[in-house]
Amino acid sequence: MNGIYLSRLPWSGKVFCTLYLLGIGCGALAAFTQAATAIGLSPADVQASLAPAMPMTHMSAGQMMGEKEITLGEVSSAAKVWIRTPLLIQTSHTHLFGQTLIAGLLGLIFLFASVREWLKALILALPFVGTLMDIGGMWLTRFVWPGLSVLVIAGGSLFALGYALITVISLWQLWIGTAVRAAGRRGAGAPPSEASL
Amino acid sequence: MRRRRLGWLGGVVSGAVMLAGVAWAHITPPVVLMSDRDAIVTLLAGAQRFFVREVRLSRSEQAQIKQQTGWTPDEDFYRFYLGRDGQGRLVAGTIFVTEFTVHGPIRIAVSLGPDGKVRGAAVVELTEETYPWVKPLIDRDFARDYAGQDSRGHFHLSARLGNLEAMPQFYGQVIASLIQRAALLYDVGVLKRGDAS
Repeated sequence: MNGIYLSRLPWSGKVFCTLYLLGIGCGALAAFTQAATAIGLSPADVQASLAPAMPMTHMSAGQMMGEKEITLGEVSSAAKVWIRTPLLIQTSHTHLFGQTLIAGLLGLIFLFASVREWLKALILALPFVGTLMDIGGMWLTRFVWPGLSVLVIAGGSLFALGYALITVISLWQLWIGTAVRAAGRRGAGAPPSEASL
Repeated sequence: MRRRRLGWLGGVVSGAVMLAGVAWAHITPPVVLMSDRDAIVTLLAGAQRFFVREVRLSRSEQAQIKQQTGWTPDEDFYRFYLGRDGQGRLVAGTIFVTEFTVHGPIRIAVSLGPDGKVRGAAVVELTEETYPWVKPLIDRDFARDYAGQDSRGHFHLSARLGNLEAMPQFYGQVIASLIQRAALLYDVGVLKRGDAS
């Protein structure tokens, strides 16, 4: 873009982009592990943490009290996080800022990749769309329909897919693509193409 | 020209990294210290049968609690786990209460006897950020200072705890207030509504 390509960045730029992409990758793995242990990775797990608590006594709306005998097996033995509205607000504000900034910086690096324009637009949109779907899905699960917890998983997966594509393509062009093109240039003298991938 | 472009790019990237760092610094993953089942088993020791009671508070009950503590109960319903002996007599009840602080939620389980007096309390969930502040309190078994108090008791930090830093003191007070809320909810939801046994 504008004559700047990942493959032509100076060493400092390549080192910066590489370490940023790897650092975000480590952070994403840690976030994945944290989500898996604190909430779970299936729509049912997300639903259990986010959906409004339903009465165990099957107390109907408007009924003031209900009581029933239970076994301890009916009480959750998993150390799970219960996300209620105030925590959802807190989580939304931190994750929307944090993930959008990460998506922005990933996109900024990817803007200088040599990829077809439509494909570049599609790939760099994935982390943004994933973030909105992820956080939006949490609110929809809580306030619209618990079944929409699938959006949280889909959003997280989209973010991860976008990150993986950006990282693999960028690292390739930063380090390996350079050598290939340099060898090609020596032979043909052709400039790097916007559609070289 | 190319150097200027790279300088501009570097500036944008640095700014984005700083902002992302600030945003991430505010994301505090939850720390779950024990499952609900473990808390119930621990706090309802001596019970042979277990019951769940769910209670919706009337406007006058909400007003009464607000008058005593300044806190307005806002949940759709409150759930009590009641432990009874073989003859069905109430041994104790446990309720989980949460405060959403600026550093994330703190969730505790409080056990109360048939006389409305606190039998014990345990921190169930907090956040990575608050854990180092609450740990000194847990290490000192600070919740035992409230054992034997009912909802009209004094829920302040005791001198026994010695010189605590500002944040442990603050969170100690938050948890003490939660124990008082639990005692009030138990008064209204279990004792005043009558024991179904």
